[in-house]
Amino acid sequence: MKRYSRELTVAIALSALLVLLAIFAPHFFQPQPLLARLTAQVPVLVLTIGMAVVIISRQIDISVGSQFGVCAVVAGLMSAAGAPLGFALLTATLTGTAMGALNGFLVAWLGLPSIVVSLATMVTWAEVLRLFQQGRFINLPPRVQWFGFSQLVGQASLLFFALGLLGAMAYFLKNRTGGRHFYAVGSDSEAARLAGINPRGVTMLAFVLMGTLTGIAAFCNMVQSPQVDPKCGVGLEMKAIAAAVVGGVAVTGGRGGLWGAFFGLLLLATINPALTYMHVDAYWEKAIQGLVILLAVIADGLRTKRSAA
Amino acid sequence: MNSAPLLRLTKITKSFGAVRALKGVSFELNSGEVHALLGENGAGKSTLIKVITGAHKPDGGILEIAGSQVSDLTPTRARELGIACIYQQPALFPELSVAENIGLRLECGATFGCVKWKKLHANALRLLKQIGADIDPDTPVHSLSMPQQQLVEIACALGSGAKTVIMDEPTASLTRTEQELLFGVVHTLKTSGVGIVYISHRLEEIFALADRVTVLRDGESISTQAVRGAEGSALISETDLIALMVGRPVSALYPLKAKVTGKPVLELCAVGCEESGVKEVSLTVHAGEILGLAGLVGAGRTELARIIFGITPADSGTLAINGAPVRVLSPRHAVELGIGYVPEDRRRHGLIMQMPIDQNMTMAVHPKLFPNSLLNIRAETALGVHFIEKLGIKASGPDALGGSLSGGNQQKVSLARWLATKPSLLILDEPTQGVDVGAKSEIHRLIRDLANEGMGVLLISSDLPEVLGLSDRIAVMRGGRLVETLDSTQATATSVMSAALRSA
Amino acid sequence: MNASPAPTKRHWLRHETLLLLVLFAETTYFFYFARNFGTADNIRNIVRHSAEMGLLALAMMPVILTGGIDLSVGSLMGLCAVIFGVLTHDWHWSTLQAVAATLVAGMLAGGFNAALIAFLRLPPLIVTLGTFSLYRGLAEATTQGTKIYRSFDSDFLNLGDQHFFALPIQAWIFAFGALFFWVLVHRTTLGRSFRAIGFSPEGALYAGIPVGHRTALPYMLAGLTAAIAALLFTARLHQARADAGTGYELAAITAVVLGGTSIFGGIGSVHGTLIGIAAIAVLNNGIARVPGVLKAGVGGELASMLTGALLLIALAAPILTRFITRRRAT
Repeated sequence: MKRYSRELTVAIALSALLVLLAIFAPHFFQPQPLLARLTAQVPVLVLTIGMAVVIISRQIDISVGSQFGVCAVVAGLMSAAGAPLGFALLTATLTGTAMGALNGFLVAWLGLPSIVVSLATMVTWAEVLRLFQQGRFINLPPRVQWFGFSQLVGQASLLFFALGLLGAMAYFLKNRTGGRHFYAVGSDSEAARLAGINPRGVTMLAFVLMGTLTGIAAFCNMVQSPQVDPKCGVGLEMKAIAAAVVGGVAVTGGRGGLWGAFFGLLLLATINPALTYMHVDAYWEKAIQGLVILLAVIADGLRTKRSAA
Repeated sequence: MNSAPLLRLTKITKSFGAVRALKGVSFELNSGEVHALLGENGAGKSTLIKVITGAHKPDGGILEIAGSQVSDLTPTRARELGIACIYQQPALFPELSVAENIGLRLECGATFGCVKWKKLHANALRLLKQIGADIDPDTPVHSLSMPQQQLVEIACALGSGAKTVIMDEPTASLTRTEQELLFGVVHTLKTSGVGIVYISHRLEEIFALADRVTVLRDGESISTQAVRGAEGSALISETDLIALMVGRPVSALYPLKAKVTGKPVLELCAVGCEESGVKEVSLTVHAGEILGLAGLVGAGRTELARIIFGITPADSGTLAINGAPVRVLSPRHAVELGIGYVPEDRRRHGLIMQMPIDQNMTMAVHPKLFPNSLLNIRAETALGVHFIEKLGIKASGPDALGGSLSGGNQQKVSLARWLATKPSLLILDEPTQGVDVGAKSEIHRLIRDLANEGMGVLLISSDLPEVLGLSDRIAVMRGGRLVETLDSTQATATSVMSAALRSA
Repeated sequence: MNASPAPTKRHWLRHETLLLLVLFAETTYFFYFARNFGTADNIRNIVRHSAEMGLLALAMMPVILTGGIDLSVGSLMGLCAVIFGVLTHDWHWSTLQAVAATLVAGMLAGGFNAALIAFLRLPPLIVTLGTFSLYRGLAEATTQGTKIYRSFDSDFLNLGDQHFFALPIQAWIFAFGALFFWVLVHRTTLGRSFRAIGFSPEGALYAGIPVGHRTALPYMLAGLTAAIAALLFTARLHQARADAGTGYELAAITAVVLGGTSIFGGIGSVHGTLIGIAAIAVLNNGIARVPGVLKAGVGGELASMLTGALLLIALAAPILTRFITRRRAT
């Protein structure tokens, strides 16, 4: 149980927050808005899954937000031009995979630090998008929103999909050799190499996976509204990183799991509306996000010191 | 059953540049045997082990594994041929569990291969039980103690079906109980036909465990013989072993010793540090004196140096520099107090390889040489030139990068750095390791001159002749404690070695 | 992380010359093909607009030299700008008092980074990622995302508008900053220790260098510099805004890496950083004036995009050249 102390802490904090809301702002739990809020978190959850894998491998990817925007626009343009939804999903995903592969190549093969690489690609993709799209929204045909079904069906499908993906990925990371390789490489890439694992391949895979999931996440976002806003990806990388780090995925690599990241996401996602319902400014979101990341990192740092002594 | 020995090395030679590490070593290991390998630091043990595990390719001689000759042995091939080595520093994944570590080591399955946790757990448990280790396979490795991690490594070796297991100083940091456990493991391995190459400095262990013992000295296998006779009687004594290890004349070519020594420069009283295993060390170094600190690897000498130099401050006992009691809190503080330390690990601690040698030399004297924090390149270059001449450093100039020099010259640069600080106490940690013979005697002369000028010198060395030849007094450490202090007139190679080796 | 390889004189010469060539090439290109690029007025513009980014790059250089990174400088600019606005407008402090307080705030914020990185030994990457969010967040929360402080003392605004001996005041401040950092990195024992720490923190410790303190200093200076940059930004725009400095950290890091400082630490020079700053400043200004770009109004986007691409090239170049030379040797 001690191994899951962080996950437990987050779950407890989340429960405490929910209890507070139940007492002071019970209208938070009204089914319709609650469902809408949960569904809105689906794209972030998909991103968080990929980000957790990247961080477990001892890397980071801050270009995810920009990638998301590009994929969203690609999917949007496809749909607006009449392509079937499946095709839009495919193109969005492939776009993400390609961008992820670029990051992966620069980090895994050229050995460049992932922070600076993803900083560069983040800005490059963001600016390419701005250049191309000029901030124009893309109007989507009505068959796109909620897959053409009712809102309830659409929301339910997205939620099931997200949770299913979470469960499948969590299973893979825990119970399949390939999943454990991420942990091995993140823990000690040299020892991993000596044990017969290919650290470069694993790192590349982490970034490619991240890119692919970004494309999927962008699609999940698209089907929730009648328009695509090219700015939809801004700041999403920070949300994903914060969720993962709060949930116990250590930036030093090799530690943490998807369920923890999931609880971290729920916690962070609840703080904001909680603040609104308690009449605190929504503008505090970024500051709280930053603070939460710092607290999580400090906690990780203290924990390492304690176990080393 | 195959009667060919698991391992047979015949007249193996290996040189590194001008240094001849192995000069024709012969060694043999049979199935179900514990063959101990004994020798001082630098006798060639680790080179021999690296040849067996395929990390080094021998220059000459024959290597046979299970009866057939093998050339071009690589670590991977060695592992396939059933050779496993348990080092003092286990290479495990700290974040993962014991079961997972063992699993990863033993097989690398397909990407979508199922990780059968139950099977992994059961497998790990079986292996651990087999060696009698009481470790829960689900514990993350980072929370295990070093000896426990070693046991996990042994379990890995067992699980990989190794027939030859090399144990390099396995009991160095174990408690009595853990030692007993390890002996049990060794026994279990023996009965299952595994051959063990056992490297240890603890003579009592060798007598307890080994069937045969080979003594290495200066890269040659001096003697190989059975430890016990048929009835269990000892065929050789501790004294004999020590004599074999040491048996060379001490060179008379050392500079003359000090006649008078001055006030105490360093006084340690019951100094200890929990973390590094140093316990209640008391010693004194006087001005003008060279105190040799002898002992085997792992005895705690470098750890003691690190305490004095402020890297790992002491948590018990008192320390006085030039008569004034102090707590040395950091290397910077140590320098201010007049302590200098030429470290053992040249590459990581002695020099910064990517910087020029004059910059390396001035690095510890910034406050003195550059009083207002402004660099003075001219003074720096002058200092560089000065020491290049004084120590005979072979480099293209004071701006040559540290990494471009040979080992011996790098050592001289490291020394120059600390000489520049004009310390009251200079700690030298293996100052002539990897240095050629010519440079060695230069450095010895220099050390003596420094002492004669009034410096107190603490000389940590595993080179017995060096310690005997240079020191005015010799302190011997074993197991983190100071066990004996000898005057140079009384000390002999044997007496020093005995103190370093003898059962406590 | 990898350690920097040993610098070779040839490597350095190659990098600096290449960069100067790039600078020369783009300046020439813009001179001929961009509208009104080569005028005295425009040159003064370039200096004015890039002084802030330039100062951040100068402060970023010692941080990267020690092997660290600071992603929060741009956000800190925003926070300092807001602090200044609040102090002068809501609390009615005098300009001088507000300036002093803002500078102190910048140093404290930098000190916060320093405490976590140098003393708690947390990874600089994630710490400054956290403060990147935190500082910008505080700025936005204070202004509710919308408030912009507008009217300031004319004395203060002179910082942004006026000239001193024909050069904009920003130029003098920047020049002073450049001189300060040049002396710090190249002529003091502090700078020497930054290099040592960047190459090998352990090696530096064993040489008696106070690694904790020396690692902390660059982050504190970065904080102070961000505050200065925020004041310059506010004076230039006549506005104190929460979004001040957005994206500046990228430009700063790019300028530093372009200028030859190794991202792994140990290798680098302030003069190289200055050339890097110039290259980016010229790019930012010139690209917006190329007729096609001017008409489409996409100067900003293109400049940022090219900056990102430049950073990747600058990062990959040493590795590729090493790879090629090694190939040639075998």
